[in-house]
Amino acid sequence: MSTETQTGTVDRGIVERLRASPFLSQLLSNRLAITGIVLILGVVLIAIYARITYDLSDLLATQFGTNPSEAAPSSEYLFGTDGQARDIFPRVLYGAWYAVLYGTVTVIASTFLGVGLGIVAAYYGDLTDNVIMRTMDVLLSFPSLLLALALVTIFPEELGLWRAVGALTLVYTPRFARVVRGAALKVLEDEYTEATKALGATDPRLLIRHVLPNCLAPITVQSTLNYGLAIIDIAALSFLGFGASPGEPTWGMMLSNGVEFGLFSGAWWWSFFPGLLLALTVLGFNLLGDGMRDALDPRMRETVD
Amino acid sequence: MVSKRFVLKRLLMLFPVLFGVATVVFAILHLSPGDPAVVIAGERASQEFVNQVRADLGLDDPLWQQYVRFLGEVATFDFGQSYQVNRGVAVSQILTDRLPITIELALLGQFAGLLFGLPLGILSAVKQDTWTDHLSRVGALSGISIPIYWSGPLLILLFAQFLGVLPTSGRIGSAYFVEPVTGLILVDTLLAGNLAAFQSAVIHLLLPVVVLGIYQMALLSRMMRSSMVEVIRQDYMRTARAKGQGSKITVMKHGLRNAFIPVITVIGIQFGSLLGGAVLTETVFEINGIGTLLVDAINRSDYPVVQGTVLVFAVLYTLVNLGVDLTYSVLDPRIEQ
Repeated sequence: MSTETQTGTVDRGIVERLRASPFLSQLLSNRLAITGIVLILGVVLIAIYARITYDLSDLLATQFGTNPSEAAPSSEYLFGTDGQARDIFPRVLYGAWYAVLYGTVTVIASTFLGVGLGIVAAYYGDLTDNVIMRTMDVLLSFPSLLLALALVTIFPEELGLWRAVGALTLVYTPRFARVVRGAALKVLEDEYTEATKALGATDPRLLIRHVLPNCLAPITVQSTLNYGLAIIDIAALSFLGFGASPGEPTWGMMLSNGVEFGLFSGAWWWSFFPGLLLALTVLGFNLLGDGMRDALDPRMRETVD
Repeated sequence: MVSKRFVLKRLLMLFPVLFGVATVVFAILHLSPGDPAVVIAGERASQEFVNQVRADLGLDDPLWQQYVRFLGEVATFDFGQSYQVNRGVAVSQILTDRLPITIELALLGQFAGLLFGLPLGILSAVKQDTWTDHLSRVGALSGISIPIYWSGPLLILLFAQFLGVLPTSGRIGSAYFVEPVTGLILVDTLLAGNLAAFQSAVIHLLLPVVVLGIYQMALLSRMMRSSMVEVIRQDYMRTARAKGQGSKITVMKHGLRNAFIPVITVIGIQFGSLLGGAVLTETVFEINGIGTLLVDAINRSDYPVVQGTVLVFAVLYTLVNLGVDLTYSVLDPRIEQ
C-alpha cells in the first residue's frame, strides 16, 4: 500500500487521498469509532433540526391548560410532560442545540488559548516558558469541576450559560497548553525548523506555518476527548445551579428539575430522557476520541497489521 | 527504598504550588462581582452600615495588604467566619466537621472502583480482542460517559422509588444518633458499638458509593487494560513463558507489578475527578459533605466558606498526588531521576 501512495500523482481525487491516509483508514476500520461518528452526526442533526423547527419562547413558556402536567410518555407526548406541563420531547431535542453550541465554543476557545500558550512557551523557553507553564501547573492543581465552580462566580450572572463556557475554557486551557508544548518542543528539535529559520522566516510564520501543522495530531485527539468532557461538565454546572436559567431547555437544567421535582412523584421520564441524550452524546465523543488515539498511536497500528 | 533527598525535594516543591493555589483563590474572590460587605450587612442595610462593615473587614485597604493578610490566614488555617451558611461559625470548624464525610465517600468510591476495575482491566487485556474484551471496553466507555447526576437519580428511582429497598438520601437513618469521633460514619457507628446504626449507614451509603464507583471502575479498568496490554508484549514476559511458566503465573508475577505503575499515576490524576464526582454525588443524595457546602456557599455568596473549601480541595488533591509520586518511586526506583 505504501508504494501505491508514493507513486500516486498530484491530481489524485480527494477520496483516493483520504483512503491512502493510514490514519483515516485505521480510524474507519474501527467499528467503535464509526459508532461514535454516527452518534455525533445524529446529535448534530438533531441540534440543527431543533434550532430550525422550534421557537425557543414556546419551549420556555408553561403549558398549563394545553397539556396535562407530569404526563407519562405516550404517543402524543413521546417523552412525557414536565411539572410545567411542557412537552419534554422538543425540549430534549433543543437541548442538543445547547450542548453542541456551548460545547463547541468551549472546546474551540480552550484549544486556541492552550495552543497559543503551549507553542509560545515551547518556542521562547526560559522565563516565558516558566511563567506560562507554572501558571498552568497551578491551575492543574485544582480538581477541575471545583475550579470551574469557583470560576463561574467571576462572571456576571446575566451571562447565563456563557458563564459555564468561560469557566470551563479556563479549566481546560492548561491541558491543551501541556500537550501542545510537548509536541512543539519535539518539532522544534527537527532540522526543518532550523532550515526555515535560516531562510529568514519570522517567528509567527515559523510557528503558525511550520510548527503548528506538525502538532495537529495530538491537538485533535485532545479536542475530541475534551468535547465529551465539556458537554458533561457544562451540564454538571447547570445541574448544580450555575449556568442555565430556570426553564431553559438545557439537558443539565432539565435533569436538575427532574431530580428535584419529578423523582419522588415517580415522574422518571422527566430526568431520564435528557440524561439519555446527554450520555449518548458524550459516549459518541469518547468512542471517536478513543478510536483516533488508537489510530495515531503507531504501536497500536503495529499489532493490527 | 526512597531516598530522603527525593522526599525532601518533593515536599519543598509543595510550597510554590500551594502559594500559587492560594493566589488563584484570592484572585477569583476579588474578581467576583459580589460585595462581601453587602452580603454580611444584608440587602436592606443602610449605606453607612455597609461602609462600616467594609472597613471592619479591611476591604478598603490596598489590594496588596489584603493579599498579604490573606496569605497569613491561609498559612494559619484561619479563614474567618461564615457569613451565611453557618453564620458566625469559624470556617475551619465547618470544614473539620464536614471534610470527613466527603473523604469517606471518596475513599469508598475509589475502593469500589479498584475492586472491580482492576480485575476487569486485567481480564480485558489477557483476553485481548475477544468478545469479553470488547464488552468490557464498551462497558468502560459507557461508564465514563454516563454522568453521575443521571446514574444517581436512575438508581434512586429503581431501588428507592420502585423497589423500595434502599433509602434515597443522607448517610444514616434519622432514628440513629452517633457521637462523631472520626467523622467517618462507618467507623463512628462501630466505635459506638451500635450495629443497627452501622447497618443503617451501610444501606444509606450503598447507592452513593455504587454511583461514584461505576465511574472510577470504568476509568481504572481502561487504564489497567492498556497498561497490561503493553506489558504483556514485553520481552521479559515472553522469556518468562519460554522458561515454562504457566501464563497465569506470568501474568500475575511479572505483569501485574509492572502494569500497575502507570495505573497508580492515573489514580492520582483522577483523584480530582473523584472529588468532582463526590460533589455531584453529595448533591444527588443530599449528603452534607464539603461538596454540598461549596455549592451552598457559592449560591449564598459566603466568600470565606468558598475560599476555605476550594483551598482544602486543592490541598487534598495536591497531597494525594505527592503521595502517588512517592509510591511510584518505591515501585519504580528509576523515577527519582
